[in-house]
Amino acid sequence: MMGLEMELKKASEEMLSFANDPLNSHMLGGRSHIALASGCELFLKYITRCFLELPDFNECMAQILSRGQRFSDISLAARDRIAATGKAFIQPGARVLTHGWSSVVSSLLIQAAEDTHFEVIVLEGRPDASGAKAAKNFARAGIPATVVLDSAMAYVMERVDLVIVGAEGVVENGGIINKVGTYAMAIAAKELGKPFYVAAESFKFARLYPLNQSDLPVLGKGVAEHLNFVDTACWLSTGGMVGSRQKNGGDEKDEEHVPGLVSLPEDVKVENVLCDYTPAKYITLLLTDLGVLTPSAVSDELIRLYQ
Amino acid sequence: HKHKHKHKHKHKHTSTTMESAKPEKEKKPKKDIVIPPKKPKLSKAERRALQESQRAAKAEAADGGNASKKSSQLQQQSSPSDGNEANEKKNGNGNGNGNGASSDENMEGSSRNDTLTFFSHLPPYKDHRKIKDFSGVKLSSSSNSNLHPAVHALGLQYADGSIRGANSRCKAMFKTFQKVIQDYTLPLDTKKDYRQDLENRVLKPSFTYWTTKCRIHSVTMGNAFTFLKLAVANLGRDMVLEDVKSILCEGMDAYIHERIDFADVAICKYGSSKIMNGDVILTYAKNELIQMLLSNLDREKKKIRVILVDSRPLLEGKDMLQELMDAGVECTYILLNSLSYVMKEVTKVFLGASALMSDGSVLSRVGTATVAMMARSHNVPVLVCCETFKISNRVQLESITGNELGDPDDLMPPSLSLEEWKSSRGEHLRLVNLLYDLTPNEFVSGIVTEMGILPPTSVAVLLREMNPQDSGFKEEEF
Repeated sequence: MMGLEMELKKASEEMLSFANDPLNSHMLGGRSHIALASGCELFLKYITRCFLELPDFNECMAQILSRGQRFSDISLAARDRIAATGKAFIQPGARVLTHGWSSVVSSLLIQAAEDTHFEVIVLEGRPDASGAKAAKNFARAGIPATVVLDSAMAYVMERVDLVIVGAEGVVENGGIINKVGTYAMAIAAKELGKPFYVAAESFKFARLYPLNQSDLPVLGKGVAEHLNFVDTACWLSTGGMVGSRQKNGGDEKDEEHVPGLVSLPEDVKVENVLCDYTPAKYITLLLTDLGVLTPSAVSDELIRLYQ
Repeated sequence: HKHKHKHKHKHKHTSTTMESAKPEKEKKPKKDIVIPPKKPKLSKAERRALQESQRAAKAEAADGGNASKKSSQLQQQSSPSDGNEANEKKNGNGNGNGNGASSDENMEGSSRNDTLTFFSHLPPYKDHRKIKDFSGVKLSSSSNSNLHPAVHALGLQYADGSIRGANSRCKAMFKTFQKVIQDYTLPLDTKKDYRQDLENRVLKPSFTYWTTKCRIHSVTMGNAFTFLKLAVANLGRDMVLEDVKSILCEGMDAYIHERIDFADVAICKYGSSKIMNGDVILTYAKNELIQMLLSNLDREKKKIRVILVDSRPLLEGKDMLQELMDAGVECTYILLNSLSYVMKEVTKVFLGASALMSDGSVLSRVGTATVAMMARSHNVPVLVCCETFKISNRVQLESITGNELGDPDDLMPPSLSLEEWKSSRGEHLRLVNLLYDLTPNEFVSGIVTEMGILPPTSVAVLLREMNPQDSGFKEEEF
């Protein structure tokens, strides 16, 4: 049993180091591996507990395999459960603001659209155009969607009725780690009195306790240098609006050919951070498959999950 | 008056007819009757104590003007001060007191009425010099002379401040109890349950002696004592005395090792995971746990600077400063006044605690709340390092209701001598030397315990998990 645990641990470490490798970052869709890490840890914890209860190897194995299957079913079912409770929060005629691409939020909004009539405002979501992708999905599902610049977030905040975002990870004090820009949105929402909801499955609850932005686990260290967002918007997200040439950096000559292209010299540093940390005090409620939780309840749940 | 009485009677009548099966209903206070102060609830012993204190005041009126002020004050503010005195006794009682000891407490402690009536619910400072005099005359109640000498010795150390700090006091208490239990002999009456005898004849009087005569007990001492009483109660009725002694002593050792020593190691591990290379750490006064945390960092990977804040009159930070410097940590030492000046350089604040309330507020050395508030206003994260055995099931809303008064003479400016100070003070100067304060949970970013780092809102969950005997809603009585 211990052997099995060791192998699984190695496997999860292997997966995480793979995810951490900057060259593989595009496979993750530019997102963090926190959910991956917490999911693995939870499963490993379950194995230890299972072993203590069923010392017989074969019984234990059977239990673990069935649990593993249930785990994957649960995460899919979790999304539906969150959508079922979450759609009650959207009143008819509401304007919902969201950020980035989250499958949980999408399923929530699409299911809610079956019952009520509302509209969605999405931030563009540079550098990976996740917002644009989300807007496409909403439009297909028949929800009227508006896309605005990331910088226009505070501008539209006064118009919206509520904010719903997903999460890469939910941390111990009830805060969340999500696509960069979520923190700013949460602060603006609090300031303007708009409720801020987070939709996340329970396997995303991680044993992290960030004190501030610099205290986050280093996510894909090489990614920052890799993704040069000054280029990306021109070529990848906007469908090559400015031209079909693939270019990295470039020299002065290109600025004449391609309108709007700014090529940066070497000594200008580019910091492309993927995720930020939103403290618990800005979050109104968390919509999870364990129910609707306040941020302070997250720690209680974590104590139970990891007991 | 009469009307009220009739009204009360009417209410009682209706409630008994409506809910005859619920006798508890009658105990609830009626909304339209003003709840009287504790005065009517004085027991016989407490009334006697009140009389004796008034007598003592009158006796001192023969000596000096101060006491006459006090006795006149006592007479003038009749019901509130009686209420306060009774409250004082009640609090003294509630804080671990036998009924008989309160008379002695008043006679020894309140030789001057220096504190504000605002703080008069707190027991006045007991001058340790008065306890040192062991002549049989001073120890008026006979139960005290039956105490083990180790108990007296520890009491002295508590009173004069040689043993300070929540952990040290608790450890010393258990060491002393181990000695006492080793020397315990069974009662002569063999029909008596030895557990009751041990608790009522040996353990409780010792604890009461420390709390009432020497220094009021800390939350850690209270929790540890509850643990000990539970251990005694869980012993078998027909156990051999040697087994009893070894079980109890081992239990106490295990408590100290698990809840304090090992917990400290775990806390250092979690705490140091939050310290990055280049951090400037601020800490306040003296705390052995924080000292251990800061000294044992891997200085290759994590080069930090420590700013140590200290305050009068105790200046406990000086010891901590010496220890940290001996460990090779780069330190800066300031007094509380310069806090706003250095706070902008600080990246993290680590604080110790004397006790943790169940809503996550922190009871600690006076001045801690100021440090936490200042850090909050500069957006500096505040981490409080606290073992779980310090969690109290009390909730305190501010620093005044549950606090301790220290020696008012400690506030004397260093330039004056004691005689100059006493003569220059005059009758209108009131001195308040508070020892603790409460840091609200809004100022605390995280609490580092041996269970990990938790938000302040989760302390109640910890209480339920770690100190199950404390989390039930029951009155504390020692």
